[in-house]
Amino acid sequence: MMPTPNLPTKAAALLLGLALVLPALRASEGPTETQGRVNLPPDVLALPVEQAILTAPPHVPPPITRQHAARVVVHLEVREEIMRLADGVEYTFWTYGGTVPGSFIRIREGDVVEFHLDNHPSSKLPHNIDLHAVTGPGGGATSTFTAPGHSSQFTFKALNPGLYVYHCATAPVPMHIGNGMYGLILVEPKGGLPKVDREYYVMQGEFYTTGRYGEEGLQSFDMAKAIDERPPYVVFNGAVGSLVGDKAVTAKVGETVRIYFGVGGPNVTSSFHVIGEIFDKLWPEGGTKYVQENVQTTLVPSGGATIVEFKVDVPGTFILVDHSLTRAFNKGALGMLKVDGAEDRVIYSGKEVDAVYLGSQAEAGSESSRREAELKAKIAAEIRSNPAIAGLTKEMQIEKGKQVYMGLCFACHQADGKGLPGAFPPLANSDYMLADRDRAVRVVLKGLSGPVTVNGVTFNSVMPPQEAVLTDQQVADVMTYVFNAWGNSGDAFKVDHVKAIRNETR
Amino acid sequence: MHLKSLLLVALLLTGRSLLAGDAAPPSRASTLLPEAPKPACCKPAPKPACCPATPAPAEAALPFTAESLYQLDVSFTDDTGKAFNLGELRGRPVALNLFFASCGYACPLTVTDLLSVQANLPADVRERAVFVLVSFDTERDTTAVLAQYRQQRQLDGNWIILRGTDDAVRELAALVGVKYKREADGSFAHSNVVTILNAQGEIVHQRLGLRGGLEETAAALAR
Amino acid sequence: MRLTVPRFTVLLLAAALGLGAAEPVALVTIPAGTYVPLQRSVKDEPEVKVAAFLLDARPVTNGEFLAFVTANPKWRRSQVSRLFADASYLEHWAGDLEPGPRAPLDAPVVRVSWFAARAYARAHGKRLPTTAEWELAAAAGYTRPDGANDEELSRDLYAWLARPVPAVHRAVATGRPNLHGAYDLHGLVWEWVDDFNTAMVTGESRGDSGLERDLFCGAGAVGAKDTSNYAAFMRSALRSSLKANNTTTSLGFRCAK
Repeated sequence: MMPTPNLPTKAAALLLGLALVLPALRASEGPTETQGRVNLPPDVLALPVEQAILTAPPHVPPPITRQHAARVVVHLEVREEIMRLADGVEYTFWTYGGTVPGSFIRIREGDVVEFHLDNHPSSKLPHNIDLHAVTGPGGGATSTFTAPGHSSQFTFKALNPGLYVYHCATAPVPMHIGNGMYGLILVEPKGGLPKVDREYYVMQGEFYTTGRYGEEGLQSFDMAKAIDERPPYVVFNGAVGSLVGDKAVTAKVGETVRIYFGVGGPNVTSSFHVIGEIFDKLWPEGGTKYVQENVQTTLVPSGGATIVEFKVDVPGTFILVDHSLTRAFNKGALGMLKVDGAEDRVIYSGKEVDAVYLGSQAEAGSESSRREAELKAKIAAEIRSNPAIAGLTKEMQIEKGKQVYMGLCFACHQADGKGLPGAFPPLANSDYMLADRDRAVRVVLKGLSGPVTVNGVTFNSVMPPQEAVLTDQQVADVMTYVFNAWGNSGDAFKVDHVKAIRNETR
Repeated sequence: MHLKSLLLVALLLTGRSLLAGDAAPPSRASTLLPEAPKPACCKPAPKPACCPATPAPAEAALPFTAESLYQLDVSFTDDTGKAFNLGELRGRPVALNLFFASCGYACPLTVTDLLSVQANLPADVRERAVFVLVSFDTERDTTAVLAQYRQQRQLDGNWIILRGTDDAVRELAALVGVKYKREADGSFAHSNVVTILNAQGEIVHQRLGLRGGLEETAAALAR
Repeated sequence: MRLTVPRFTVLLLAAALGLGAAEPVALVTIPAGTYVPLQRSVKDEPEVKVAAFLLDARPVTNGEFLAFVTANPKWRRSQVSRLFADASYLEHWAGDLEPGPRAPLDAPVVRVSWFAARAYARAHGKRLPTTAEWELAAAAGYTRPDGANDEELSRDLYAWLARPVPAVHRAVATGRPNLHGAYDLHGLVWEWVDDFNTAMVTGESRGDSGLERDLFCGAGAVGAKDTSNYAAFMRSALRSSLKANNTTTSLGFRCAK
């Protein structure tokens, strides 16, 4: 774009620089086109025209099956909207298509794309789009710089296949991205990608709110935190819990799952990991060759993407995290893949044995050491099952119970015991739970499914049975904790009580 | 309170005048800006613009079209010192460029390009086409400087070189989408846009930047 | 085209209740100072000296703009040339001479073009402030001259930025004035400046990538003196995104003298 600066004087060079900087821009509203529509050659004009199918996360448009290029028309609308960032926390997101991340765009290598960016009249600010899939200055940013209530159009040819981030590039760029202006565009290679059973769209981004994590109300963008890169929130798909509970992505045992994973940032990279799965195939950095197999965690840069693919062999819930773990544990970067189907206990047995391990000075494997271990286990079990011997006070039970709760129960019922509206019932001040101590223990041990009304609200989800997971003592402890936390109050639960209920149907 | 009641009266009066206006609605033309000398249809090949035609008020009735730049209600002065209204250009194809006389690079190049466009126009178009230069430099580009510029660049009678107030130049620049800014040293940073206007003063083409686009510019003039 | 009763009532009410048009705008003096441009070319002075000037204490209201279009028919919604105001000009008004419920008389007028704002100013013997003047006036905090370090102002400003444009804007001059006595420079609407189209740096970071490094010290933020003033970047980006006939739902103006 810039001419070679071989001019005699610096002044001339300066003028030249200025002279070429700014082509005049005019709204289509005004008397003239910006640069005018491109004159497409006959071979391009001959291509079939189709409207791009755009999808909201976590969904991905269907694979492209045509064997030829097309002229694809994309309409993407920018809207500034107040939406949920976390429970009780709202934020004014700047969005492409009303979601964070923005609509997923899927095209094919060689397609000629007529791209329309529509900036809603209610927008406060101008916006644009830089598609990393575009070859050309600014990736389309200059051509799509659009005032509120205006629409811009430009055309590009998708020269390079791959998975690309798009984002707003209007100053101050970190704030535009930090408010949610990013998404993914997939340019399928000519031969397409290998067929899979499920495809999902997940993007990570961080939010710089004035309030700390969880502080309720409409939050403002905090410039100082952004500059210091101290985000209270690091989340998948624009909100805490956007991929958990009934919003989890799903698959069936035996299926192959592909995740198009991107990082909008604006600053934080991701150590993307799926707990309990291994990426069978990995297309690092969104390129078109899967160059890696059997990967546990992949690093995804801000403004970058990756494609991961894995077969799910056993049922259960697989947790998507940024394995830079305080982001998952404290800032929201956590999602779920729920896999249904038959167990395969050879591949994964579940917990088979829980025994006390005291160590041993005896020769490993000797008859006497085995007998000693058995006796010790027996004694330990007796101690565990007898609070008097263990000397557990209610307070100690509450403390131990809290540990159990934070390891197991909080993911659904939440650390504050309030549950997740629409998905998991609250335990805090739960009329259902507090009314019947036997039933409460039974639910924990045996699980519960089907509709249940808690504090006047009906929930219809599944509480998995914990009898294979928790000892009687642990159940007694966690029950004591939940009956005495968040304003609840009740007596301690006894191990015998739990044991009796455990044995009810045996 | 005093002020408020005064205003109340003023508003009531406004209401009255509205009523009166409604009773005898003003003709659309009367709400528009000063008119061009002659309708496009009637007289072929107006005089070269260098010798400003005396506007003929009788012919000023036809309103400008909705997208005509000639609606701009500002006046300029040409390099002979005569007042010039853009509406006088009506009926002829126009190439409009904003410039400043002391520009050392971009403006001379653009003028050279426009000279070559002019030279290569078909004879009938060349006769009608007007090339208008409007200066950003309201301070230094005096009538004399502009006259000298005409001489230096040997611009013939189909070239019109104008200066105006800051206000006039800024509004014209805004209409054609030209951004400019006076630098501390008195020169101007500016975008380079040649705008082609049709007989009605509507923008039909813009050449952006300094390279190429001369064929399209010529074609737009001949359209 | 008869003057209808509601329209007339609106005018009456406006005056009687002392809303909008009825309260003539006060001018406040902005003392001379310097403005450090967000981005500048090497030819520019690092600081722009700004002489003292008078600035409307608040943005122009719907009531005031109603009086203007009443007196100047060519600026009414139905009559304005598209050249000077795009199709959404005063689109939220109920009628040509009827601001209606979405445009309370005491709220700032928005969806006005630069041409319209200029014409209004001219009709009142005023002008639009320049970028340097506006930024100088707006640089003051509530209680201190350096607004950037006024935490309350920053908080209010970012709280405003964090909210979408409301369907109906609040009345002018209901918040806190700044040190110079000017209301609403931040936190109500964006405002036109006279030289909005001088910005050679577009504010669109990518568009500036072709700039000579030694000309603008690089693209976008790189050329900016204070890269942490996000609000200033937003104003700059907005100005450079606009054409003179454009209007937006959050863009109004005030006059200077």
